[in-house]
Amino acid sequence: MRPFAAILRKDLMLELRSGRTTTALVSLALLVLVVLAFALDRAIAGGSDAAAGAMWVALVFAGMLGATRVMLAEQENGCLRALLLSPVDRATLYAAKLAAAFIFMLGAALAAMILAILFFNLEFSNAFGTLSVALLLGALGFSALATLLAAISARARGGELLLPILIVPLFVPALIAGVKASASALSGAQFAAAGQWFGVLAAFDVLFVAAGYLLFEHVVGEE
Amino acid sequence: MAKPLQNALGGLTLVVMLIALYLVFMWVPTEIDQGIVQRIFYFHVPCAWVAFASFGLVAIAGIFYLWLGGQIWDDLGYAAAEVGMLFCTLVLITGSLWAKPIWGTWWTWDSRLTTTFVLWLMYGGYLMLRAMADDSPQIARYGAVIGIVAALDVPVVIISVRLWRTIHPAVLVTRQGGHGLEDMRMVVTLLVSLAAFTLLFAWLLMLRFSELRMRSRLNAAAREIAIARLRVGAA
Repeated sequence: MRPFAAILRKDLMLELRSGRTTTALVSLALLVLVVLAFALDRAIAGGSDAAAGAMWVALVFAGMLGATRVMLAEQENGCLRALLLSPVDRATLYAAKLAAAFIFMLGAALAAMILAILFFNLEFSNAFGTLSVALLLGALGFSALATLLAAISARARGGELLLPILIVPLFVPALIAGVKASASALSGAQFAAAGQWFGVLAAFDVLFVAAGYLLFEHVVGEE
Repeated sequence: MAKPLQNALGGLTLVVMLIALYLVFMWVPTEIDQGIVQRIFYFHVPCAWVAFASFGLVAIAGIFYLWLGGQIWDDLGYAAAEVGMLFCTLVLITGSLWAKPIWGTWWTWDSRLTTTFVLWLMYGGYLMLRAMADDSPQIARYGAVIGIVAALDVPVVIISVRLWRTIHPAVLVTRQGGHGLEDMRMVVTLLVSLAAFTLLFAWLLMLRFSELRMRSRLNAAAREIAIARLRVGAA
C-alpha cells in the first residue's frame, strides 16, 4: 500500500503546487459549455436532454486532457522509466495513476455539473443525487480507460492525436448510460428511474478497472 | 504459409462465391414485402458474421501474444483487424443501401447499426495506431492490449445501445412478426453465401498474414545483419 500512497501523494502534491491540470480542466469544461450554449441555443433552452448532453461532452473533453495528463506528465525527463525501475508492482502503479486521474476527473465532473446547472438554468435540487452518482461512475470508467490508453499514446508516435480516437469509441457505452441517467434526473424523474443506466455504468467501471489493472503491465513492458 | 494451399483456397473461394452469386441473383425467390432489395441480405449477413469473427480473432490473437509471445500472433491479429475492417465497412454500406428503400433513410441510430458503427470506430483506432506507430518496438503489445480492451467493450456496447433503442429486423434470432426466412431456398442461399464469405475471409486473411510474416522475417534478418556489421566493425 505504501508505494500506492507515495505515487498518489506525489501526483497530488505536484498538482497542489502548480495547479496546472485543474486550471486547464475547469477552463476546458467552461469553454466546451460556452461553445455548446451558442451552438445549441434553442435546444438547450428547451430541454434537459440537451443540457445533460452538454454536461457530458464537457466531461469527456476535459477528461481527455486531465485524466491523461497524469500519465503524459511522466514522459517528461524520463520519469516513467524511473518509476518502472523502482521496486513497484506495475499493477500498483496503475492503481495509483488511476486514483490520481480519478481525483482530477471528479474535479472536472464537479465543474461541468455546476457550470451546466448555472448556464442552462436547470432545476437540480431533485436531480443532484442521480447526477452525482452518474458523474462519479462515469469519471471512474473514463479514468480507468484513459490511464491505460494514455500509457500507450504517451509512448507511441503521434500519440496525442491517437488518444481521443482510441478513447471515445470505447467510452460510448458509458457515455450513453451517463447521458440517459442525467437527462432522466434533470427532467425530474426519481433516482430509481436511472437504475438500469447505473447498472451499465457500474459494469463498464468494473470491466475497465479490472482490464487496466491486468493489462497495464503489458503496456509499459519490461524496460 | 504454403503457396499451393493458398492458391487452392483461392480457387475454392472463387467457385463457392460464383455458386453463391448464382443462388442470390437467379435462384432464390424474391421476398414479397421488400422486393428485390432484400437480396442484399445474403451479402449483408455474411459480411457481418465475418467482421465480428475477425474482431474476435484480433482479441484471441492479442491474448495469445501477451501470454505466449511470438511475432506470429501479432501478425495474425493485425491481419485479422485489417480484413475485419474491410468487412465491417461492407456491412455498413450494404446496410445503408438496404435501409434507404426499406426504412426510407440511409442511416439511423438503431441499436445494431450503432453497435457496428462503434466497432468500426474502435478498430479504425486500432489500425490508425498501427499505421502511425508501426515502427515503435512496443507496437505489438499495444495492438494486443487495444484488441482485448475493444473486445471486452463489445458486450457493454451491445447492452447499452439496445437499452437505448432498436428497430433492426431480427431475422435470425427471433421469428415472430413474419421476419423469418419462410422459403427453404432462402435458408440454403444464406448458408451458401455464408460459406462463400467465410472462405473469402480465410483466403484474404491468409494472404495478408503471409505477407506480414514475410515482413517480420525480413525485419529480423535486417536486425541480424546490423548486429553482424557492428561485430565486424568492433573486431
